[in-house]
Amino acid sequence: MDFPGSLRPTVFMTGPLGLSDVPDMSFMCSWRDALTLPESLPQNSENGVPHVAKGLLWEPETPGPLPLLPPGPDPWHPGLTAQDLLFRGGHPFQKQPRVVLDVTEQLSRFLWDHGDIAFAPLGKLMLENFKLEGARSRSKKTTVVSVKRLLQDLDGHQPWGCPWAYLSYRQRRFSILGGPILGKSVANLLGDLLHEELVMRWEQLLLDDAFTGGALAWVPGKTPRVGQLVYPAGSTLDKLYFQEVSLTPGGNPQVLRDPGHIQLRGPVRQVVTRTVQGESLLAVRSDYHCALWKVSRQGRPAPLQVLQVEKGATGISLSPHLPGELAVCSRSGAICLWTPQDGLRRVYKDPDTLVFRDPSPWRWADFTAHPRVLTVGDRTGVKIVDTQGPPGCGLLLFRGGAEASCQKGERVLLTQYLGEGSPESLHSTLHLICTQFSLYLVDERLPLVPMLKWNHGLPSAPLLARLLPPPGPGCPRPLLLGGQDGQLQLLHITGEEASTPRLAGPPQSLPSRNDSLSAFPVLEPKSQWRLQERLKAPTIGLAAAIPPSTSTPILSLFQLSAAGDVFHQCLRLQADPGPDSCAPTVSWSPQATACCSQWLKALLEVPPAPPVWAAPTFSHRRLLGCVEQREVEGKVPEGLRAAMAEGRLLQQRDLGSLPTAEPPPAPEPGPDDELSKRLEAAWEGQAAAWWERRQGRSSGPRQQPKRHKRRTQLSSTFSSLSGRLELSDVTSPPPSPDPEARPRPPGTPPSQELAQEHWARGVPSERQQTLRDYMAKLPLREDALEDASAPPSQTSSIRATRSRQRTLQDNTAKPPLQRDTPEGAFVPSSQTSSIQATPSRQQTPVLSGSQRIRKKPRMGF
Amino acid sequence: MQKSMSDFSEELIKSTTEDDQGERCELSGTGMHFPWLQKHIETVATGGKKEKDFAQTTSACLSFIQEALLKHQWQQAAEYMHSYLQVLEDSDSCKRQAAPEIIWKLGSEILYYHPKSNVEAFNAFADRMKNIGVMNYLKISLQHALYLLHHGMLEDANRNLSQAETWRYGEKSSSQEVLINLIQAYKGLLQYYAWSKKKMELSQLDKDDYAYNTASQNMLDHSWKTSVNLGALIQIPGVWDPFVKSYVEMLEFYGDQDGAREVLTNYAYDEKFPSNPNAHIYLYNFLKREKAPREKLISVLKILYQIVPSHKLMLEFHRLLRKSEKEEHHKLGLEVLFAVLDFAGCTKNITAWKYLAKYLRQTLMGSHLAWVQEEWSSRKNWWPGFHFSYFWAKSDWKEDKALACEKALVAGVLSGKGCRYFRYISKQDHQVFRKKIKRMKKLVKKYSIINPGL
Repeated sequence: MDFPGSLRPTVFMTGPLGLSDVPDMSFMCSWRDALTLPESLPQNSENGVPHVAKGLLWEPETPGPLPLLPPGPDPWHPGLTAQDLLFRGGHPFQKQPRVVLDVTEQLSRFLWDHGDIAFAPLGKLMLENFKLEGARSRSKKTTVVSVKRLLQDLDGHQPWGCPWAYLSYRQRRFSILGGPILGKSVANLLGDLLHEELVMRWEQLLLDDAFTGGALAWVPGKTPRVGQLVYPAGSTLDKLYFQEVSLTPGGNPQVLRDPGHIQLRGPVRQVVTRTVQGESLLAVRSDYHCALWKVSRQGRPAPLQVLQVEKGATGISLSPHLPGELAVCSRSGAICLWTPQDGLRRVYKDPDTLVFRDPSPWRWADFTAHPRVLTVGDRTGVKIVDTQGPPGCGLLLFRGGAEASCQKGERVLLTQYLGEGSPESLHSTLHLICTQFSLYLVDERLPLVPMLKWNHGLPSAPLLARLLPPPGPGCPRPLLLGGQDGQLQLLHITGEEASTPRLAGPPQSLPSRNDSLSAFPVLEPKSQWRLQERLKAPTIGLAAAIPPSTSTPILSLFQLSAAGDVFHQCLRLQADPGPDSCAPTVSWSPQATACCSQWLKALLEVPPAPPVWAAPTFSHRRLLGCVEQREVEGKVPEGLRAAMAEGRLLQQRDLGSLPTAEPPPAPEPGPDDELSKRLEAAWEGQAAAWWERRQGRSSGPRQQPKRHKRRTQLSSTFSSLSGRLELSDVTSPPPSPDPEARPRPPGTPPSQELAQEHWARGVPSERQQTLRDYMAKLPLREDALEDASAPPSQTSSIRATRSRQRTLQDNTAKPPLQRDTPEGAFVPSSQTSSIQATPSRQQTPVLSGSQRIRKKPRMGF
Repeated sequence: MQKSMSDFSEELIKSTTEDDQGERCELSGTGMHFPWLQKHIETVATGGKKEKDFAQTTSACLSFIQEALLKHQWQQAAEYMHSYLQVLEDSDSCKRQAAPEIIWKLGSEILYYHPKSNVEAFNAFADRMKNIGVMNYLKISLQHALYLLHHGMLEDANRNLSQAETWRYGEKSSSQEVLINLIQAYKGLLQYYAWSKKKMELSQLDKDDYAYNTASQNMLDHSWKTSVNLGALIQIPGVWDPFVKSYVEMLEFYGDQDGAREVLTNYAYDEKFPSNPNAHIYLYNFLKREKAPREKLISVLKILYQIVPSHKLMLEFHRLLRKSEKEEHHKLGLEVLFAVLDFAGCTKNITAWKYLAKYLRQTLMGSHLAWVQEEWSSRKNWWPGFHFSYFWAKSDWKEDKALACEKALVAGVLSGKGCRYFRYISKQDHQVFRKKIKRMKKLVKKYSIINPGL
């Protein structure tokens, strides 16, 4: 093999990432790569400026990719978002918002939704009887609760998470007595575990490396125009589909027959295919298993081997040199080579990362130009390892550091061998390395010094890359780069064996699935949202084929989304477009929109994913008895009873003309709430009329109300300070204690709604969060709180809250309370109404903070 | 001066605040930076200090430019760029400092690809950009010169580099020093081009001509300047192939063989330099031109063999080893051939196969069966699948019958008559190759290492 006779000048510096003193040549622009040094002058002066193809543009046929296959029958849920994991609301004193995991809310939700899991083990530990602490003077009868009876009470009545559930006296007693103990131990035990889980989920949200490499493969068939798409689908991605596709000369794919599928035992994370010496092989990576199939010429897969990876597999690659050989990486840091002759053999093991310490267990292995030499990669670098040499030795091919002018915090996300094993390929020694910032091409004969560096600037993790064959003789090879969020970039790599690889022309971005939204008909908001979510699903697979064509080369691009959708796009090469030809704007063809509408119709027929939390269902029979016993008269209880007996939802007509429950207080409706009126009018399509009306009114002699309004607005801004507190105190006297604690209807009387959160009202809104955090952090005793050195403006409100709360609890909770646990100590008055109704909430007072956050928008400003 | 001082201090501030930003972006624990973190935070952050309108419009404008560039919409990108220039007046000093670099990067890209742009426009832009801020002067000058060089405007490039060379600002940082060295080296390269043009002219002149003397005097002047310019940079670790090549050529021309050797030896063997195969190749070619002893050549190629066993010079290396008197060299000669054929890019190299077939026979005749067995033992479990499979037998015979015959001989010798490759080729009936195949069969029978007794 020939080595480039003259490499591009580069400074070589050793050192850590982000070494600031390196003159980073990547500061240079993409056109730097187009620059060539005249090798020797005579040649140059004769030939003039070497011609560089300036515009090599793949023109999409449609503005976005189109669905290739109908959506699967299983519902799909987009999963967690940042909103589920992070504290909402800003930190007013920071310039940049900081990431804070919202463990409190998650813990409270966990306790609501999975109370059985959270509390049952404790109950089991305590076995027969609970001996609850209490004053010595009290009799055994009041301090010992029988578990058997308690469970009986709970059976069929206690819906997890329903704040208005029926509670027996025993349960109430138990929860008041046991609340502090149960809450504390459960929160202690669970808190750490939950935090750990949340950290993991958040990291996964930032970077989900499970699908590194991509789970979509194009297996070429008998003729160059026919092939098979292999991809996972189904709600858990555990069905491996084999879909035969034929490419028309126009580039549009036609689906042949129904897809065949193989049911697997785990979600498919990566699908790799290679055709070596005429044999098509297919390797699949799941979380803990890897499997290898041989695909016959007829397209039938025959299983060859299944491997179990105990610690979890992170990557799999097929040898381009020897049929059936594959390399598997495990989270433990081991790399194994499986060959048909020798079976499984561990060739490398290092639990530590290569260059510097990085906690990620992600490992990757690929082949090199030598069939017995592998590359081993992790987040910090890539090493070349000879599988026949002594274990552990090798040479670093890529170092996350000053050698490649890496930035601070830069990590390897993907490495890929670009050679195909055939001696014809020009890049048989090149390796692609992608980080979150840049793309590097490294030649294995010149380790550490990248031959090419390009700052891709993708707004998501580039976990997918495909090097395609040249679309025509003498053309540069297209390199597809796919980000997790669907962004696609196409680069052209050129360079014969004796010259360095470089970019031919500027890289190009390709339309993503999001760009297809305009092809779908307009829907009502809920369905529209669903469609958008579906189109925004992460891209987990990328495949492309260049069918042989007579005229302009065509690129058929397939992408797989996490929802299991396969989209297709056809691109046409526009070599050397004229100087003025800008990429013409393409529009949707009627066929394309028809295709989209059809797909959408099928999508909307798929039932939506069941919500993660379902409303509690509970037995009502015993409750029904209670209601009947009391023999209450009137239409309302009758309707209620009838609905309960039938076990259906209570509806308005069952209750007849009920005194309409007052709506929850509107957000500070001024005397003349202009915005809501305008919105109302706009909603009814009479915005213009409203405007007319308003114009007429404001030009009239009604200046005074306006000023008045302005003042009230202003004052309402400030009202949150002092005056308001007394006001709400007046309007809501402490609700009288109700020993029966009847379930309260959802429509809480407005007076109490107002009372809620009024402690918070005394504090400027921007300080409420701080106060909450502060109070949540301090292991306050109740009395200690009074002396807490809070700013005077706050202490007053806290004191007010405290005192109110104390009176309340003195009234409600008759048994003496041991209130020295931080959780118990802090039950702000915002919860007063619910404390009454559901003493069970005291068990988990931690959640009160987040409950408040959720209610906040109702408060008005 | 006042202005530039404040610029400088701002730039110092910038470097620290950038670090802070880094700390902010990273997730506790992993230390990794996520460019998409901000996007996630924005979905939850409701409060906090909002970006100013100005910052919002400029960042939106920036993303429009980037999008237009990736869609090759140069015209549109240029229009957005026009608006983006307002970022230079950002009240946030951090952003204002980072702006020139971004503007240069995007602006030069637009001007490079824009169909209506020309060298004059590019020059004007580059000259303007050089003088905004102080940190980018050298980098922009260098890239500007490269642009001119690429467009064949050597004079202008030279003038640009000369200007940049003398530029200094504040305390000389090491990155500034490297940049100045690079600029000088490129200047040296330009001088080399001029020199080699003169050399061409000179070779066409008569030695007795009057013009010859002035021309050669000119050349001497040039060489002196060039050596100063090139010498400094190639001391710094890096890949300096074009510089080293031209420097050595000039040194050699003026008979400074020792100087040239020193430069090349340093370039090849200095441990601070990356292991660049070209460094060894240049040294080898130099020694060959110098007619250095075979021992010396072998020792240079031995190192190249360690770095790039697949290089085409390895066949030359094999020839040298074969000619050597030492037995260990003969053994190495076999090793080198096997190593070359290990690589995917060399599987169809007929010369290598020919050498191996011939050398195997020679080695076995010299009763060094152990050497062959040693090489073969590490390959016997994968060479048959890699080289000697039925698939390759068929395709090689179809594409290159001569290659197929050589390979079949090697296959037969190494893995016996039962080898599929050998069997397939030996069964072929072809007029031209009939004799060759017959001879091959005979040789395999005689030398195959599988049944040495027979």
